[in-house]
Amino acid sequence: MEMGNDVALSVRNLKTYIYTNNRCNRALDGVSFEIRQGKTLCIVGESGCGKSVTAASIMQLLPTLSRIEDGEITYHGPDGPVRIDALERDGAKMRAIRGKEIAMIFQDPMTALNPVYSIGFQIKEMLRYHTSLGRKDRHSKAIDLLRSMGIPLPERRVDEYPHLYSGGMRQRAMIAIAMSCNPRILIADEPTTALDVTIQAQIFELMDTLKRENGTAIMLITHDMGVVAELADDVAVMYMGNIVEAGPVGKVLRKPVHPYTRALLDSIPVLGRGKDQEIKAIPGQTPDPYNRPTGCQFADRCAYRVSACDEMPPETMVADDHRVMCWRYQEFMADAAE
Amino acid sequence: MLTYIARRLLTLIPMVIVISFLIYLGLELTPGDAVSHMIPPDAYGSMDEDRLQELRESLGLGKPFLVRYWIWISGVLQGDFGYSLAGGVPISKIFLDRLPATLELSIAALLISTVLGSILGTISALTRGSLTDQSLTVVGMLGVSIPEFFFGLVAILIFALNLEWLPVGGRTLPGYDSFWDRLPHLVMPAMVLSIMMTAGVMRYARSSMLDALSRDFIRTARSKGMPEWRVNILHGFRVALTPVIVLIGFRLPVLIGGSVIIEQVFQWPGIGKEFVSAVRSQDYPLVMMVALFSVLAVLVASLIVDLLTAIIDPRVRLGD
Repeated sequence: MEMGNDVALSVRNLKTYIYTNNRCNRALDGVSFEIRQGKTLCIVGESGCGKSVTAASIMQLLPTLSRIEDGEITYHGPDGPVRIDALERDGAKMRAIRGKEIAMIFQDPMTALNPVYSIGFQIKEMLRYHTSLGRKDRHSKAIDLLRSMGIPLPERRVDEYPHLYSGGMRQRAMIAIAMSCNPRILIADEPTTALDVTIQAQIFELMDTLKRENGTAIMLITHDMGVVAELADDVAVMYMGNIVEAGPVGKVLRKPVHPYTRALLDSIPVLGRGKDQEIKAIPGQTPDPYNRPTGCQFADRCAYRVSACDEMPPETMVADDHRVMCWRYQEFMADAAE
Repeated sequence: MLTYIARRLLTLIPMVIVISFLIYLGLELTPGDAVSHMIPPDAYGSMDEDRLQELRESLGLGKPFLVRYWIWISGVLQGDFGYSLAGGVPISKIFLDRLPATLELSIAALLISTVLGSILGTISALTRGSLTDQSLTVVGMLGVSIPEFFFGLVAILIFALNLEWLPVGGRTLPGYDSFWDRLPHLVMPAMVLSIMMTAGVMRYARSSMLDALSRDFIRTARSKGMPEWRVNILHGFRVALTPVIVLIGFRLPVLIGGSVIIEQVFQWPGIGKEFVSAVRSQDYPLVMMVALFSVLAVLVASLIVDLLTAIIDPRVRLGD
């Protein structure tokens, strides 16, 4: 992937390790990707593959016992590039980016909002730290934000507490908080996992509108391939701390060249094929993060394993915007071309 | 909100009736009666039974139990607290003389333990695992496990006798009546009385704060780019506060019980000290009134706690 002018955030060879009881989990083991302005990057993968750690690394919201060991996170802001990984976690510079330039919404809107403060307070808090608006302006801005998120009666709802909101409305309120300072990047960590399917569609539609109207770059973490097909411009497939395949959504979903991507796509039940359709679950389990295979992390579960897989495969560009980590990619490419 | 308060006050009435009945019943079941206390033991043995019976009748002790209870409680409800058997002083006068001292001591101890306990607990939680946290934990365990009267004696020895910073006991000196004159007298008893509760509040505030800090909304608050103090205090501490306030409400009886001992140790002229001597001399009317008063104090305190909880936690909806 060439570095263009439209890149909002680039991550290079990021290594984030988490330490517990003197053991080290190499949660991210050399991850590289770019988020393009006004585009949606979907990061997919199983639980524990490092999706959320990636998001936390960018926001510098990692748990205390974890550290960015190596690599670069560069935010391409209006004032030139900023190396996020070099900033102090809770320093003023990081805080100025967090929330204002890069905002985040979380998985469970039921617990992500503070129950003892009104929704309005929690929106205005953001405006207070990142804008110069006065008290009254902040209040009317909060109402406007709720209205644009499709919350009915925002003038009244603004003073209500989270427990009076439904799940979908809470996630809208959460997005209102995240979008309040017009961030250049919005990171959404499985924003609809805790919501009903009908509400999911509404939330995604809302995010898509925001992307188109404000040019916000979105990094969407999900494990739902349907969502990827619907929303993504770019996809990165993660497995055990590596991006095993990345590229534009059309190429990755239609012509996947990594066996893991293929296995993921094969494991989705298809509507209309009836209840007798064969769903190919991926055999085996993800390896113990503290006791990883030395070579390709997916080798143990891979149907195409060869002896070369005992070594970690390099990241290989199969097209100028399509990248894979697999020794046998040429065979899969030939296969995909048929 | 107002209807809620009114309703809560109304539910106090049956509770007070039940509890006052239990108090009356309890004292009825203890051996001896008022007459046996009023007459000196040597005279009691030589008095003839008819004379004693006559005395009992004249005091109304011959009436059935329930009737006597009714006479007592209706009197109390009309503001007639009865007379102390020792000296025949009206109990309302004893209350007027002694209650302010006890309230002063208890409220001071309550304030100290609430403020100090939550601050130390929060510091402990924020510096979890550090030396500060560990030493506070040890101090907390000591505070909970060592009895108050021991602290009282040690404090008197150090601060009053050796260093001569504070007076040994009492509430005031003759001729000095303003609050500021009395303050040095209050410091030691209030501090000692608050130790156990401070330690309890501290331990509880620590775990409550740790719980609050591990919640998702803390991460949300951080993701807004706010400074750490605001995340910890406005989002963490505020949420951690609710269970702490409930705990303080539940601990109030301990405070009242503790003040009985502390008032003895520091010669504090409060109701607690009066209570001990009343129990010792079987001064039933006074014992009953003090017991009833403690119950009322706890009930009112729990009402206040409920209201405070509703104010700081919007999820607790009151009344309507």
